[in-house]
Amino acid sequence: MNKHSTTTNGADFAKLSYLIIDDFESFRLSMREMLRSFGAEKIEASAKASPAIQFCAYSHVDVVLCDFNLGEGKNGQHILEELRHKKLLKRSSIFLMITAETSKEMVMGAREYQPDAYLTKPINRAMLIKRLDSLVSQRSALLPITREIDHENYPEAISLCLKFLPAQPRYKTWLMKTLADLYYRVGDFSHALKIYQDVLNQRDLSWACLGKGRILIATGNYEEAATTLNSLVEKHPDYMEAYDLLAEALEKLGKPLQAQKILETAAELSPYALLRQKHLASLAASNQDLFTASEAWRNTVSLGTHSIHDSSEHYLALGQSLADLSDGDNTSDGYARADEALTTLRRMERRFAEEDNIRVRSRIVQSRVHAGQGNQNEANKALESVADQLDDGEKIDPETGIDYAKTLFRLDRDQEAKDLLGTLARRCSDQPYLLQKIENLLDEPVGYQQKLKARSRNRDGIKAFEDNKLDDAIETFNEALSIVPDHAALNLNLCQVLMKKYKGTGDKDLIKQAQNHLQRLDNLPEQHRQYRRLASLRKKLQDMMS
Amino acid sequence: MSSENPENRNMAKKSGQTIDFSMVLASAVHDMKNSLGMLLNSLDDLRREQSDTISESTKFNTLQYEAERMHNDLVQLLGIYRLGENNLSAHIEEHFVPDFLSEHMARHTPLLEGLGINFELEAEDINGFFDADLLTGVLNNTLNNALRYTRTKIQLTANERDGYLVITVEDDGDGYPENMQHTGTPDFKALDFKSGSTSLGLFFASSVASLHAEGEKTGSIRLHNGGSLGGGIFEIWLP
Repeated sequence: MNKHSTTTNGADFAKLSYLIIDDFESFRLSMREMLRSFGAEKIEASAKASPAIQFCAYSHVDVVLCDFNLGEGKNGQHILEELRHKKLLKRSSIFLMITAETSKEMVMGAREYQPDAYLTKPINRAMLIKRLDSLVSQRSALLPITREIDHENYPEAISLCLKFLPAQPRYKTWLMKTLADLYYRVGDFSHALKIYQDVLNQRDLSWACLGKGRILIATGNYEEAATTLNSLVEKHPDYMEAYDLLAEALEKLGKPLQAQKILETAAELSPYALLRQKHLASLAASNQDLFTASEAWRNTVSLGTHSIHDSSEHYLALGQSLADLSDGDNTSDGYARADEALTTLRRMERRFAEEDNIRVRSRIVQSRVHAGQGNQNEANKALESVADQLDDGEKIDPETGIDYAKTLFRLDRDQEAKDLLGTLARRCSDQPYLLQKIENLLDEPVGYQQKLKARSRNRDGIKAFEDNKLDDAIETFNEALSIVPDHAALNLNLCQVLMKKYKGTGDKDLIKQAQNHLQRLDNLPEQHRQYRRLASLRKKLQDMMS
Repeated sequence: MSSENPENRNMAKKSGQTIDFSMVLASAVHDMKNSLGMLLNSLDDLRREQSDTISESTKFNTLQYEAERMHNDLVQLLGIYRLGENNLSAHIEEHFVPDFLSEHMARHTPLLEGLGINFELEAEDINGFFDADLLTGVLNNTLNNALRYTRTKIQLTANERDGYLVITVEDDGDGYPENMQHTGTPDFKALDFKSGSTSLGLFFASSVASLHAEGEKTGSIRLHNGGSLGGGIFEIWLP
């Protein structure tokens, strides 16, 4: 029949141990039958994820045959992720994902963990044998390499790949991909790039293009990375990993809005990748797009139900974004969001009960939600329930402390909030990320809608200033400052306009006003981003008055 | 002047209430395809369990053949839907051709044996660049078609010609009718639903072929008659 000698070796198959995971008994039976028919003896079968994972924890499995769709609960991808993540399955073992899907890219989306092969239903005995035969041959041929990867001995794995390349043309693609990936892992970006480039010089292959993009990001060539990945996404609109990398490159280029757009497209095409939803959520939140952020956090939370990536952080972030959105909103929408926030946070307390800080984190946000709906009593009660963990600014975990300060502002306990933030700023003086959070909160200790209004006024003011409409600019900046009086950049903006107008008119009153605004910032610490600007404006003003 | 804060975009989405009929169709097709998959699995089990009584039964073979055909059609429909949605692209990788084809043939083995059709695979030891899923869809359909029209024999060959990978399916039936023997892409609007042959498979095959492009070269399909078996010859040329 086939002029190629088949390499099927009954002994090879028979020696291996198998695990079948499928929720249909008939399918499990028929797979077991097929495996037995070519001599396999060590065959375990499971209908559900948990016993299957449990089994892998205690027994060695060579081949996993796992159906993607397992009904309620975990699916095949969850199992694969958990097995690989917890290292319950060796790199040298084979994971076969069985699907009824032909469009697997779309369904699975971005994956850190990929199966060794897909089998598309319907499967018959002849197909299974053929497929296992080539996978098992590949496994034995490449075992020296995968074993070194299992032992994290990457340099040895690299030299083995190099040795195998000329000898094993059948596995050329696997070897090239693995080699480039190993170079990437050990930080040898130039060799990794060379492999991708060599492949691309011969042929425009999407995996090599993706790899090249990843290296360009790792080496700081963001512009080129974005160009490369953009054209990849255009050519392959169903290549999900390309979107994720493109978003990363755009972020690095300082284009967070474009990055968000890319992730939104990807999340729409392939909505089940938790890490992508999480990435989108954080990005939208930092873009002040709380609608998109809360939707993405909601998806992240729900995808977490069966995933190893589940985390209390997702619940907390969803609660926080809903708290911001519902703040001061007494419509039914606002009420519904507040209610969802409280439900989410209560679920978080139950699901992650063993985590240290969990009750405090939850109650701080709950209190803010109540306050935002005008329920002062409830708001106070929520804080009182964890009061003993909040009273010492020297000991409180900084992230928790910052969130607590936000709630204090919301409860009109401004002085307490400022004192706490002062203490925290001193404690975190070597952590720029936290310092910036503290500055932002001190600048804008108001609700989300108020904050947006102040920001929009600020932009209008800048526009007016650029158009040389100084009176308009002064008026708009004053409006913004009536919302956030301590905002450093805004005070300086206004000061700058006042000084310019003084140059034109000589009106001494303008100088006085400018002075007032600078005085408001007397306590600005040296590490503040606006500090140098403040110093230079102080000097200019001094010069003008002398 | 300093505006530190990125612009806010209120992205509240409006949910459209209009029914997208092709999407409804696509999900129904998806469902039917999966059901047929289960059905085919059961047929395969049945053939194995009852090999003495049914393996050469014409009725049983017809049952499996027709189920396979429907399954292929649905797979192609979904593929064409995704082509229309513009989210089907070829994920081209390098494959060892003999491995790919023999794995592919395995799927058809039970039916071929049941029908008593002789089958030959001749593939050169070469690597080819193609999207394995898409090509599987095309070959399934072509082989299914050959099964229908052949008398005793089907031959699958793969070799390299003029810098293209050429995969050929030949049979010893009556061959393709005159009006189907062409090399271009059939126009979807020109498909003749009245004649009973919708050429859906050919449309899909040529769409898949043309998704395979490399530099100036693009994939294509060719239909003609003759060859060593004297029947229909289907060729897919991939750069």
